[in-house]
Amino acid sequence: MQSLRSLAGKNKTWALALAGLLAVLALAAALLARAQGGCVARVYQDGVCIRTVDLSRVREPFRFTVTDAHGHENTVEVEPGRIRVVQANCPDQTCVRTGWIGTGVRPIVCLPARLTIRLEAGAPDVDAVAR
Amino acid sequence: MERTVHAPARRAAALCLCLLLLAGCAGPGAAQSRPAETELFAMDTYMHLRAWGPEAEAALAELSAMLQRLDGQLSVTDPGSEIWAVNHADGAPTALSGDAFTLLSRTLDFCAGTRGALDVTLYPVSRAWGFTTGDYRVPDPEELARLLPLVDCSAVTLDADARTVTLPPGAELDLGAAAKGYAGALAAELLARRGVRAAMLDLGSSTICLTGRKPDGSDWRIAVQDPEDPAAYAGVIACGPGSICTSGGYERYFIAEDGAVCWHILDPSTGRPAKAGLLSVTVLCPDALTGDLLSTALFVMGPERAADWWRAHGGFECILIDENRNILVTEGAADRFTPMGAYTHAELTVIGREE
Ligand SMILES: [Zn+2]
Repeated sequence: MQSLRSLAGKNKTWALALAGLLAVLALAAALLARAQGGCVARVYQDGVCIRTVDLSRVREPFRFTVTDAHGHENTVEVEPGRIRVVQANCPDQTCVRTGWIGTGVRPIVCLPARLTIRLEAGAPDVDAVAR
Repeated sequence: MERTVHAPARRAAALCLCLLLLAGCAGPGAAQSRPAETELFAMDTYMHLRAWGPEAEAALAELSAMLQRLDGQLSVTDPGSEIWAVNHADGAPTALSGDAFTLLSRTLDFCAGTRGALDVTLYPVSRAWGFTTGDYRVPDPEELARLLPLVDCSAVTLDADARTVTLPPGAELDLGAAAKGYAGALAAELLARRGVRAAMLDLGSSTICLTGRKPDGSDWRIAVQDPEDPAAYAGVIACGPGSICTSGGYERYFIAEDGAVCWHILDPSTGRPAKAGLLSVTVLCPDALTGDLLSTALFVMGPERAADWWRAHGGFECILIDENRNILVTEGAADRFTPMGAYTHAELTVIGREE
């Protein structure tokens, strides 16, 4: 009886310790996943990811230019938490007009250059944008 | 005694499991809630396809092949397309595939019913404005007067037995307002056949097709873009299965030398950008082809004619944003639409069955 009770007490301690540890790990994983979501921008050229920018780690603004074999040029500007196409030589300028993105599901698309900039899906506020 | 030993342990284990599941749902590790995804450039736009379930991967592969095939058949600028052949037949009958024939005959029926708000033979005029190439310009009145007689969908002759189409010399078709909708309707059939129960096909944002509900059973949340701010939403629609099709002047436009905004949705009766008082039209319709055709037609009609059309025909719901930033929403969509951003306090008019 006595030994059984002490065994029960030990099991309980172990179980609670294990539960505590797992709870901490699970919460850490959940927080990490949430923190990453919506902060990483990926630049795709013709469906292939050519550059990944973690917008949450940007401290100083910077620019880079994406070119292709057909003479298309898109200059991308990055600031802490957001990204845009600041200049492009496409005739429609839709990519430039889209402006900054930093949250949500709306991508930047330059059709003539087949360039897209998408944010990694975290917990999006909506599933799609009708335009 | 045994119970007192195991109950806390079991409870602790259950707690762990719950927390792990929670973490799994929030993070990228949840295999069940993670969709298969494909993106492609087709039909002059960027498409993003998502589907859930065991059949999703194979269905999306089949779907993107189908979209590329339809693009090749229906493109107005591709010299290898069926539509190109029709537009360059110089008055001779041209044979069509089953898909192109079905799409064209359904589109012609629809155009005839709109009494001029939508015309599938508008291509010579939209080309004059440069909307097909991106070389934007304002055609002079003489040029428009010369081109407008070519715009007449009643002059298109279909032969259902031979499956051919004949255009008057000089006339040209453009299925731009219909092709994505037709693709969406075919896609919905394909997904159903494949047993896919949840999918969201964003066929270039102007046509969004929803299969089933979200995997967690909730409604899809589709934002309507603020026509004057590409970074903002005018509101959000809670949707079940069906299509959401949008037409807005902001999609493709240029500023003329005199400062006028010239957008790509043209009024077939004038050959000029349609300015009937609306900035955007969003149509909710079970059939994506009907929804796609309607969104353009209602934009050209303007708010009063659009409301009359809805009362007379039904079968869809719509959300209209007018030039004064008022929102008009048909009865059936009123409960599903929540204005947002600059439109949070906008005047919201519900269009009812009775005038
Ligand atoms: Zn561009």
